[in-house]
Amino acid sequence: MAAATLDDQLQALVGHPIGAGGPSTAPDPVNQPMIRHWAAAFEDWNPIHTDPEAAAASRFGEIVAPPLMLQTWTMATPKITGIGERGGSPVEGDGAEVLRLLNEAGYLGTLATNSEFEIIRYLRLGDVVTGETVLESVSPEKQTRLGRARFVTWITTYRVDDEIVGTQMFRILKFDPSGLVL
Amino acid sequence: MTATIDFAQLQVGDALPAWVLAIDATRIVAGAIATRDFMPVHHDRDYANQQGAPDIFVNILSDTAMCSRYLTDWAGPNAMVRKLAIRLGVPLHPGHTLTFTGRIVATSVEGDEGIVAIEFTGTNEMGEHVGGTATIGLPVTGVRP
Repeated sequence: MAAATLDDQLQALVGHPIGAGGPSTAPDPVNQPMIRHWAAAFEDWNPIHTDPEAAAASRFGEIVAPPLMLQTWTMATPKITGIGERGGSPVEGDGAEVLRLLNEAGYLGTLATNSEFEIIRYLRLGDVVTGETVLESVSPEKQTRLGRARFVTWITTYRVDDEIVGTQMFRILKFDPSGLVL
Repeated sequence: MTATIDFAQLQVGDALPAWVLAIDATRIVAGAIATRDFMPVHHDRDYANQQGAPDIFVNILSDTAMCSRYLTDWAGPNAMVRKLAIRLGVPLHPGHTLTFTGRIVATSVEGDEGIVAIEFTGTNEMGEHVGGTATIGLPVTGVRP
């Protein structure tokens, strides 16, 4: 039997969880210090995120996290040493198999292209978020201004306990930067 | 930020006020770290150069954050962002000016919630950096005109 082509290997991963370790759990519960840091970075002073009295008087009734902070809670705690050598991957080892295959095939560059959120409810202080990510598709190779490339799309379902609090479609372009004239 | 906008006063076709934001390296790095995105292309110019980019560029988690702020700065604290879908175009680098514009494309009522669909873009000196659609929910405070 002939060796599986890269396309065969990639398509075999579609529909499956993207990492070997199961859903990722936020290292910390939703908390005021991280919310305040985020609010300061974007100068987003919507009082429902940082002002307890204003939040209590709002429809939300208490402090709630910025809705588009949803993806931030489950981001991996990075290992800073060697992050550049790992192509920006925050952690060592058991990363997503689809990215490992693409990196090995020379698609070392990464650009995010699409992000689509549906927010079911805003997160409250103390919520512990998990994200379960399934590979939705890998495109055939395309020629782009950055070189040969493939789009990779995954869907993440965010939960607090068993309650779905939001979903996200995320798409990146993995490209081969070797032909770029710098 | 002041009061929440009155759903009854909104009409399809209404424009959101424009928002102009000067982008520098500090803003890009602050956003990347606050969203816990440590990819070097968002804080290390030499690394970005090696990836073919002329400078560091904003990360997509910061884009969704800025789009969300654009919506809720206008709509007010009782608005709930229900959907936000963005696509990225040209990159956003230090020295750029990002200008958001948007307009209402649909309204409806679901229970005691007024639903407003918005199309928006954020453009810089190179073209459209980010574009997308969003749906926000507002408490129904009056009878629709």
